[in-house]
Amino acid sequence: MLELIDVHTYYGNIQALKGINLSVSPGEVVTLIGSNGAGKTTTLRTIQGLLRPRQGKVLFEDRELNVVSTEEIVRLGIAQSPEGRMIFPRMTVLENLEMGAFQRRDSTGIKTDMEHVFSLFPRLKERISQKGGTLSGGEQQMLAIGRALMARPRLLLLDEPSMGLAPMLVSQIFSIIQEISAEGMTILLVEQNARMALTVANRGYVLQTGEIVLSGDAKELQVNETVRKAYLGEE
Amino acid sequence: MQNVLKALRANLILGGVAAFTVLLFGGWSGSMIGWLLGTAVGYLDTHEQSIPHPKVGLRIGAINGFALGLWVAAASLVEGLILRPLSGQAIVPLPQDLLHAVVGLAVTTVAAALMGAMQGLPRRRSKLAHQTTHGSLSRRQGTLLILAAILLFFPFADRMAQTGWIATVIQVLIFAMLALGLNIPVGYAGLLDLGYAAFFAIGAYTTGMLSSPHLGIEWNFWLVIWIAAAVAAVAGLILGSPTLPLRGDYLAIVTLGFGEIVPIVFRNLTEIRIVEPISSLFATLLNRPELAICLVGCEQPFNLTNGETGINPIGRPWLPFIGSFSSTNYLPWYYLVLLLVIFSMFMINRLRNSRLGRAWTAIREDELAASSMGINRVNVKLLAFAMGATFSGFAGAFYASYITAIFPSVFDFSVSVIILCMVILGGLGNMIGVLLGCVIIMSADRLYLPQFAQVLKGFLNTTVLPNIANPALRDFLAISVDPIQMRLFLFGLVLVVMMIVRPEGLVPNSRRRAELHSEDVVANESLADVRSVG
Repeated sequence: MLELIDVHTYYGNIQALKGINLSVSPGEVVTLIGSNGAGKTTTLRTIQGLLRPRQGKVLFEDRELNVVSTEEIVRLGIAQSPEGRMIFPRMTVLENLEMGAFQRRDSTGIKTDMEHVFSLFPRLKERISQKGGTLSGGEQQMLAIGRALMARPRLLLLDEPSMGLAPMLVSQIFSIIQEISAEGMTILLVEQNARMALTVANRGYVLQTGEIVLSGDAKELQVNETVRKAYLGEE
Repeated sequence: MQNVLKALRANLILGGVAAFTVLLFGGWSGSMIGWLLGTAVGYLDTHEQSIPHPKVGLRIGAINGFALGLWVAAASLVEGLILRPLSGQAIVPLPQDLLHAVVGLAVTTVAAALMGAMQGLPRRRSKLAHQTTHGSLSRRQGTLLILAAILLFFPFADRMAQTGWIATVIQVLIFAMLALGLNIPVGYAGLLDLGYAAFFAIGAYTTGMLSSPHLGIEWNFWLVIWIAAAVAAVAGLILGSPTLPLRGDYLAIVTLGFGEIVPIVFRNLTEIRIVEPISSLFATLLNRPELAICLVGCEQPFNLTNGETGINPIGRPWLPFIGSFSSTNYLPWYYLVLLLVIFSMFMINRLRNSRLGRAWTAIREDELAASSMGINRVNVKLLAFAMGATFSGFAGAFYASYITAIFPSVFDFSVSVIILCMVILGGLGNMIGVLLGCVIIMSADRLYLPQFAQVLKGFLNTTVLPNIANPALRDFLAISVDPIQMRLFLFGLVLVVMMIVRPEGLVPNSRRRAELHSEDVVANESLADVRSVG
C-alpha cells in the first residue's frame, strides 16, 4: 500500500533521513520506533508531502507522491494525527473534527464518520462544544486521532500518540488504536514507547539517526537483544 | 446585582460621552446623541437578560434611557448657561436651553425604551415556535429594524438638528469599509498587514486614472468601482506572494515595505518614457540614438499620476432622478457608502462562514496542522490578502469620487496604522467590534477633536487670557494649548491604555479572548487532566 524507497530528506543542509526503505501492506499496523531526533516525525511529514524528499520515492498504491500536493495526498487517503497533537486550540471539538473532513464534501458521510468517532471516543462527545485548548492532554490526543479519522483515510499516520500522557491514558489510547485497526484500518504508528508500540503492531522498524537499523516481525523485535537494551530498557 | 452594576457602568460611560458631546456641540446635538446612545443603552442593559415581554423591556429601557437623558439635559443646561458665555459664543435665551434639555431627555428615554421593548420580543427558537408567533417580529428582527431606521433617517435627523455630522459620518463609513477589509487578513487569517493603505491607494488611483480628464478616460463610476476592486485584489495577490514563506514579524515588515512603495510609486510616475530595450542596447553600443525604438512618452514624457499635485477632477457617480452626485448634497453619497458598507458586511460574513473562512481560522490557529488536514496554505493565504484588498478597492473608488481629487500623501503609513488600530481597538476578528472601533477612532479624530480645539480656543480667548497679566505666559498658553497638535499623542495614549486595560478589544472575538486570558485556560486544563485520570 505504502512504500518508501531510499528516501533522503533534508532540513536545509541537515540531512534528516539517510535512505529510508519501508513498506506498509493493507490492514497492517506497522510501527516505527526510535529515540528523539531519529527522524520518525520527518518520515511521516515526508509521506504526507509536508516535506519533500531530495532523493528517493514515496509510493502510495503504486502512485508516486513526490510531486503530489498535500491536499491531494489527503484526498488520496493519507491522514495524520501530528506530533504534539496540534489541535486547533481556539476551535471547539466539533469544529476541530469538521476541519479533519475539510477535503470532503459528502455531508452524510461526514455525519456517519462523526458518529463513529464519538463511539470510539465518547468523551469527545461530552466535550463537543468545548474549545480544543481547554481539553486535557489525553482528550487532545483523542481529538487529534478523531480529527485524522474524519478524513476517512485508508492509511492513518499516528505520530507519538503516547507523548506526555499518564501511563493509564497511554494504555487507553493504545487499546483504541487496536480497535481502529480491528476495523480494518491500515496504520503507520510512530512511537518512542517501543514496548506499547510493539504489542499492538504486526511489524516494526527501528530508526536510528535517519537510518533503519533493524526491521522485522513485532514479536521478534520484542525479544531482539539490541531492541531490548536500547528501547525497552531491559538488561 | 451584577445587572445593576453593569447598567451603572454603561450609564456612566455612555453618559459621560453624551455629556461631553453636548458640551462641545451644544444646540440640538443633545437630541441626536441621545437618540444614538439611548438606543445603545436600551440594547446594552437588556440584551443579556431574558426579558419575558416587550413591556418589561420597555420599562427597563425607559428607566435606563431616562438616567442617560439626565446627563444630556444637565449638559445642555451647563453648555447653554455657563460654557457658552465663557467661551465667547452667542448666548442662547433660557427658554431655548430648557427646550434643548427637555427634548434631549425625552428623545433619549424614548429611544432606549423602544430598543428595550424590542429585546422583550420572543427569541426565535425553532421553526415551530416561529410559526406560532407568525406575523410578529422576533427579537433579532426588531433590533435590526431599529438599527435600519437609525441608519436611514440619520441624514434627515442631522439636518433637522443642524449638527452637521453627516460629512464625518461618510468618512467614518469609508474607513469602516477599509477596517472590515483589513479584518480579513489580520483578524481571520492572522496575517499582520502593515501596508493596507496601499490597496486603498490602488483603488483610488485606478478610479482616478479611469474617470478623469487627466488621461482623457472618463468611464462611468459604476463600472470603474468594480475595476478598482479587481485591480486592488490583483495587487493583493502580488503582495501576498512574496510573503507566503514568512510568518509574524517578517510578514509585517514585508507588508510595511509594500505600503511604503505604493504611494512613492504614485508620487513619481510623472515622467514615463519607455524605450524598447534591445534597440536601445544597439543604439548605445553603436552610438546612434536614433536607432532606439520609443514605445511610450516619445515626444513628451508620459505623465500617469501627476505626482504631488494629484489627479483632479475625478468623475462622480450618476443616477437617474438624482443626476450627478454633487458636493453640496450629502444624501446620495451617504446612502451609497452605506450600501457599500452593508454589501461588504454581507459578503464578508458569507466568506467567514464558508469553507474558505474555516480554512483561514485553521491557518491562523496552526499552519502545519492545517496543511496536514489538506488545506492549501498558499491559496488560502493569497485569498485572504486578495479578499481584504478587494474591499479597500471599493473604499478607494468611493473615496476618489467623493473627494474628486487624490494625492499620494493621503495614503501614507499613518493611514495603515489608523486602520489597524480600528481593527485592534474594536476586537480582532469581530465585525461589530471592528465597526465600533472605526466609529470611535474616526469620530474622535475628525469630529470631537477639531470641535474641542475650537471650544477650548474660545474659552482661552474670552475667559483665561484676558485675566493673565504676564504677556510671556499669555503667549505661551495661546500657542501651546492646541489639542489638534496633540492629536497623535492623544491617539497613542488611548492605544497604550487600551492595550493594558482590555487587550482583546471592545467587542472581542471569543477565540481571541481565550488566547489573551490564557491563565484561565491553563487552570481549566490542569483540572480536566485530574478528572480524566481519575
